[in-house]
Amino acid sequence: MRILLDKFTKNFGDLTVIDEMDLEVHDGEMVALLGGSGCGKSTTLFAICGIHKVNGGRILFGDRDVTNITSQERNVGVVFQSFALYPHMDVAHNIGFPLKLRKETSTEIQRKVDEIAEMVHIGPLLKRRPGELSGGQQQRVALARALIRRPDVLLLDEPLANLDATLRLEMRSEIRRIQRETGITAVLVTHDQVEAMSMCDRIAIMDAGKILQITEPSDMYNNPVSDYVAGFLGSPPISFLTGIIQNGSFIEPATGAKIPVRKAIAGSHAGREVRVGIRPEYYQPDKGVMIKGTVSMIEAQGRETLYVVTLPDGNILRSIQGSHSPVKIGDAVNWGIDAEHMLVFDKDGLLI
Amino acid sequence: MGNSKHLGLYLLAPAGIFVILFFLAPVILTGIFGFTNMSTATGITGGSYMVSESSMRPLRSHFGEEALADQLMQRVYTIDEAGLQAAAEAGGDAAAIRELEARFLGQSFDRRRDVEVAIKSLNARPSSTRAIKLISAEFERSVVNTRFDTPEEMLAAIAGFGIVLNNAQTEALVDVAYTGWTFTTQNFKTMLELPDTKKTLINTLFYVFATLILFNTGFALVLSISTHYMPSRPAGFFRSIWLLPRVTPPVLYVLMWKWLAWDTGFLSVILEPLGFAPRNWMLDTPANAWTFIILINGIVGASMGMLIFSSAIKAIPPALFHASEVDGATRRQQIWHIILPQLRWPILFITIYQTLSLLTSFEYILLATDGGPGGATEVWALSTYLKALSNYGGALQYGYGAALSLVLVVIGISVSLIYLKLFDFKNLTAPPKIE
Repeated sequence: MRILLDKFTKNFGDLTVIDEMDLEVHDGEMVALLGGSGCGKSTTLFAICGIHKVNGGRILFGDRDVTNITSQERNVGVVFQSFALYPHMDVAHNIGFPLKLRKETSTEIQRKVDEIAEMVHIGPLLKRRPGELSGGQQQRVALARALIRRPDVLLLDEPLANLDATLRLEMRSEIRRIQRETGITAVLVTHDQVEAMSMCDRIAIMDAGKILQITEPSDMYNNPVSDYVAGFLGSPPISFLTGIIQNGSFIEPATGAKIPVRKAIAGSHAGREVRVGIRPEYYQPDKGVMIKGTVSMIEAQGRETLYVVTLPDGNILRSIQGSHSPVKIGDAVNWGIDAEHMLVFDKDGLLI
Repeated sequence: MGNSKHLGLYLLAPAGIFVILFFLAPVILTGIFGFTNMSTATGITGGSYMVSESSMRPLRSHFGEEALADQLMQRVYTIDEAGLQAAAEAGGDAAAIRELEARFLGQSFDRRRDVEVAIKSLNARPSSTRAIKLISAEFERSVVNTRFDTPEEMLAAIAGFGIVLNNAQTEALVDVAYTGWTFTTQNFKTMLELPDTKKTLINTLFYVFATLILFNTGFALVLSISTHYMPSRPAGFFRSIWLLPRVTPPVLYVLMWKWLAWDTGFLSVILEPLGFAPRNWMLDTPANAWTFIILINGIVGASMGMLIFSSAIKAIPPALFHASEVDGATRRQQIWHIILPQLRWPILFITIYQTLSLLTSFEYILLATDGGPGGATEVWALSTYLKALSNYGGALQYGYGAALSLVLVVIGISVSLIYLKLFDFKNLTAPPKIE
């Protein structure tokens, strides 16, 4: 079922946290709300599930206006960051709790619990208390509880934040699998761009209560609307340089290197200051516009190695390379920028 | 410095002394006193041996020695040196005394009249009856009301009056004549025999459980749960209001209730126009008295449970409330399925703590009804206090009171053990499994 936020506004006292936000999540789609802490992503999620009252605008599930409907009546499933399992109930009772509240018969509850437990692979754990489960198992129980009454929408609030690295990888694909299997419309709140990119159909990136851009992960990576978005996506992160457009090229101020830009940019921004963003994969030893610097840090990441190159004026460029080259910290290097993939932003940080 | 490891002990010593003086010693002494017949009559130090009206009573009734008791109670009048001297000192006629010594020294009379006849027969007899009586009074000789430090002294004195006792009589006399306290289990027998005991016990159980269930846990839960769902400012306001009775001096607090209830008080004044005759509403009937007693105790007692439960509810992660809301739980279901199960441990704590404190506390009852009307609200602790420390007639039964309080201790411990069982204490205190 689609979710529509129409000019959704949320205040805490005098403070307007979210101002007239519009967001549409299509039926069966999984959308990530991505942003740093305090950007309003959890607030949005809590408003969708009805825990927070809305101060302005509408929230629609399908065509049904749920703005003033309590969370009890909204039919949403929520997985909380802390999982919020009821410590005094065993797993079966935790999962069956929403059905029990609806006064379904115990045989019916048991059948549905068994069915959902099968799907999230926790069949043998039904008699345990939450305290006797590992983090990943608790996560699966929370997911089962959220899904058991076939909610209209599934909301996930930082579901992987409390898990260790390997479990995170596993649960990432598990949640996506279950979401696909059930075809449920889902909203994932996260501050982790890898999670957002790997799990979701679309990402809505948020800052200061506003959605900056909403699009598919690869599109957002390649065509970020602003330097903020470009900086948020990608690991290791993009590097920025500031300089002037002259004679169809971006002039790197420290080395004087000339990096050609698209004709349109060269025309519209001639003589103006711009900010360019270079992703680590587009700063490589053997091609593009050469630029000189000193290797100031080397981070071996296993399959790849990250080099941080400091330019004479102290700015840095990052380079990620597949094979380990023999350079050492302190070596002078002359590597090239792939001008084709260089992102150019204007003074206000918007992509040109 | 070398002794610094004992520093803690030194620092604790004052506390230790106070604990021993004001807690352990009284507890042990109560245990001991419970098995004695100590009272105002026996005193708390050792006693002496004395033939008296009261000690003869058991001799007659319990040992059936009517004749012996009459014999012991008899007075004789003997003209002896001591009597003559005392009469002289009392200001008796000197010539009369001298003649009395010369003619009657060593003679005994059964009645005072006979002595007086003897005095009147003297040549130097005093002129007034008053002067004769002054002299005759000094010759009265009897074991009655004379204190002897040992039984031997008493028996020797009795033998001096020519009263011969057999072994059984001696034993019985020594037994009844002892005025000090003795060890006995009579207190517990008395307790079982007296119909008051059962009534006091029922009163106590009613008082404790009615107050506990209605107020100390029940109303405390209502207060803490309802303030949990309020915005924080009004919630804090209501909680402080319910704390006020707790910080009011008990005497003033109960006095206000009395003003409310007595025959010219608030209730009487507002109910009179409605056709209810003014009366002391608190002491009017046992039901009224109980209503007031439970209200007075409960309104004070609810505040502690309220504080404990409120903070326990605050400690429940907000996510659990959010989760249950989106799971579809109404307020009522949330209270039943989320809050109450999480409050099991605080409820157990409050239940035990308040049961024990209600069992032993009687100050509000003492101040409000003093057990009335007609003992209807006399609870065990109050009864103990009245028996042992505040008897109207002034005859304080320390031993019986101590025995009563021993029973109270046993009741308290048994009730606590039952609670621990009921609430499954072992599971409650198992190490937490969720972080």
